Amino acid sequence: MSNEHGHHAKHLPADLSAPASVARWRNRALLVALVFALLAAADFYLHPGDLSLDYVLRGWLMGLIVCFSFAVGGMALLMVQHVSGGKWGLLIRRPLEAMSRTLPLVFLMFLPVAICVKRLYLWARISNPEEALRAGVINAIQAHAIAYKRPYLNIEGFWIRGIAYFAIWGIFIFILNRWSRLRDTDTQHSSWYWQKRFENLSGAGLLIYSITLTGASIDWVMSLDPTWYSSVYGLLFLVAQGYAALAMVILITLALSQDEPLKSIFRTTEQHDLGKLCFAFVMLNIYIAFSQYLIIWSGNLPEEIRWYMDRITGGWGYVIGLDFAFHWLLPFTLLLSRDIKRNKRRLATVCCIMLFARFLDTFWLIAPNFADIHHNFHFSAELLQYIFVPAAMTGLWVAYMTHQLRQRPVIAINDPHLPEILEPEHAHA
Amino acid sequence: MPMREGIYGLIAEFDTPTELVQAAKAAYASGYRRMDCYTPYPLEEAAEAIGFDEPTEKGVARVCLIGGLIGGCAMFGLETWVSIWAYPLNIAGRPMFSWPAFIVPAYEWTILFAGLSAAFGMLALNRLPAPYHPVFNAPNFRDGATTDKFFLCLEAADPKFSVSESRAFLESFRPVSVVEVDH
Repeated sequence: MSNEHGHHAKHLPADLSAPASVARWRNRALLVALVFALLAAADFYLHPGDLSLDYVLRGWLMGLIVCFSFAVGGMALLMVQHVSGGKWGLLIRRPLEAMSRTLPLVFLMFLPVAICVKRLYLWARISNPEEALRAGVINAIQAHAIAYKRPYLNIEGFWIRGIAYFAIWGIFIFILNRWSRLRDTDTQHSSWYWQKRFENLSGAGLLIYSITLTGASIDWVMSLDPTWYSSVYGLLFLVAQGYAALAMVILITLALSQDEPLKSIFRTTEQHDLGKLCFAFVMLNIYIAFSQYLIIWSGNLPEEIRWYMDRITGGWGYVIGLDFAFHWLLPFTLLLSRDIKRNKRRLATVCCIMLFARFLDTFWLIAPNFADIHHNFHFSAELLQYIFVPAAMTGLWVAYMTHQLRQRPVIAINDPHLPEILEPEHAHA
Repeated sequence: MPMREGIYGLIAEFDTPTELVQAAKAAYASGYRRMDCYTPYPLEEAAEAIGFDEPTEKGVARVCLIGGLIGGCAMFGLETWVSIWAYPLNIAGRPMFSWPAFIVPAYEWTILFAGLSAAFGMLALNRLPAPYHPVFNAPNFRDGATTDKFFLCLEAADPKFSVSESRAFLESFRPVSVVEVDH
C-alpha cells in the first residue's frame, strides 16, 4: 500500500495530458508492427505453396479478432463502468475511451476478411453444395448444413451484417466519447446530470452490444465450421472479449501510472479492485467454456462432438493444454493472492499472461476449422503466419491506440468520484 | 480462575482513523507486537499497520485454501470411488472415470468447504465467541468503539511493555486519552 498518510487530499496536476512516455510506446509498437510485417512478408515469399495466401488470411482473421476484442471490448467495459459507477471506473475511463476510438482501424482490418470471404469461409466458397458433394469436395453433413443455413450464411448477408455491426458500435463509441468531452467542459450541469445520461445510454448500449457481438462472433468465427453450433458461443465470446480488454486496459493504466498526471489519482485500493475484476473474468470464462464442453461431451452427438475432436486430438491436445494453463490455471492461482493483485509489476505480469492466453485461445478457435490442419496439428513454415500477422496487427493497433490516448486529458475531471480518489487511502473507508 | 496480576494493557483513544493508523504503525515499528486496534467499522489499514500482512499472520487465508483443497479432493475422490469401485454403472457407454462430469460437484464442494473454513477459521483464530474481554473494562471503550472513536491497545503481555514508557509512547501521538485496562 501507499506510504503516504498525509492528512490532506492531493491536488490534480495542472497538465492532465498524456505523459511523454506514451509517444515512446507508439514508436516501439510501430517498430514491432514493422518487424512482424516484414517477417510475415518474408515467410510468404520464401515458402510459396498452395496455402501461403490462405495462411496469411487466417492469421489476419486472428489479428482482426484480437484487435476487435480490444476496441469493442473496451467500449463494453466503458459502458459497464458508466452503469456500475465506482472509482475504479474513473481511473480507467480515458484509456477505455482511447481503446474504443480505434474502431475505424478495426473496420479497415475487417475489409480484407470480407473481401476474401470465399478463401476463408467454406460456406462462401461452395456456391452449389450438391455439386460439391458429388465432386467429393465436401461431405454430406457439410453439404446439408451449407444448404440449410444459406438464408443466413451468404456473402451479401455477411457484408450487410458486418457493416451494420460496425455502424452500431461506431454510433455508441462516437456518442460516448463526444459526451465525455462535453462533460469535462460543462459548467452548467452537475456531474450527476451527466452520470444519468451516460447510465441511460450505456444500459441500452450493453444490451445492443451483447446482441450484435453474438451475431459478429457467429459470422466471423463460428461459421468457419458451418456444420457446428453452440448456443453459449456468443456469451463465451463476450466474456473472452471482456477478459482481453480488461487485461489490456490494466496494462495501459499501470504504465500510465508511472508518470503524472495519472500518478496522482492512482491508488492501490483501485488497483486491487481491478485485480479482483480480473479474477472474476478468469472464473467466468472457464465456467462458461467448461459448461459448453461438459454439455457437448455428455451429449456426445456426432454433429457437435466433432468440433472438439478436431481441436483436442491429433496434437491439438498440447495447444488446448497450454490454453487451459494460461487462460485459467496460472491467472487463477496467481490472482488468489492479495499481494499479487496489489503489486504493480506482478499484476502487470498476470495481465500479460492473460493477453497471451487470448492470442492462444483465438488461435485454437480459428486454426482447427481448416481441413489441412484439423485433427492433425503439425508445424509448417506457413503456420508461423499465426504469430507474424496478428503480432504486426496488434502492434499497429497499439500505436493507433496511443495516438488516441494522446488526444485527450488522461483524467476525466467532471466526476463526483474525483475528490474521493484524491484522498489518502484510509480516510474514506 | 485465579486473579491475574497487573493490568491487561494501555488503551489510547483517537478521534480519526488516520491518527490511529499512524500510532499503530509507529508502535509496530518500535517493536510492539501484542497489540490490537478497535474501530467502529472495518479499517484495512489498521490491520496492515499492526503487521497483519506478515506471512505468519495469514491464518484465515491458509485455512481457507486448505479447506477448499480438501473439499475439492474429497468430492472428486468420492465420485471416483463410487463410479469405479463401489457402484460401477455403464451410463450411455461413457467411461467409468468420466472426469468432466465429476468437476461440477467437486467445484461446488471446493467453494462450500473454502467458505465454511474461512468463516469458522476466522472465528476460531479470533478466539470467538468470547463472552469476556478485558478492553470493555476501559470506561470510554463501550460507547466509543461502536460509534465514532478509534482505539489502540498495547497489551501488557508484550515483552516491550512497561506502564510508564508505553504510556509516554502513546501520549506522544496526542490521543484523546490513555487509560489502563484491568483484567
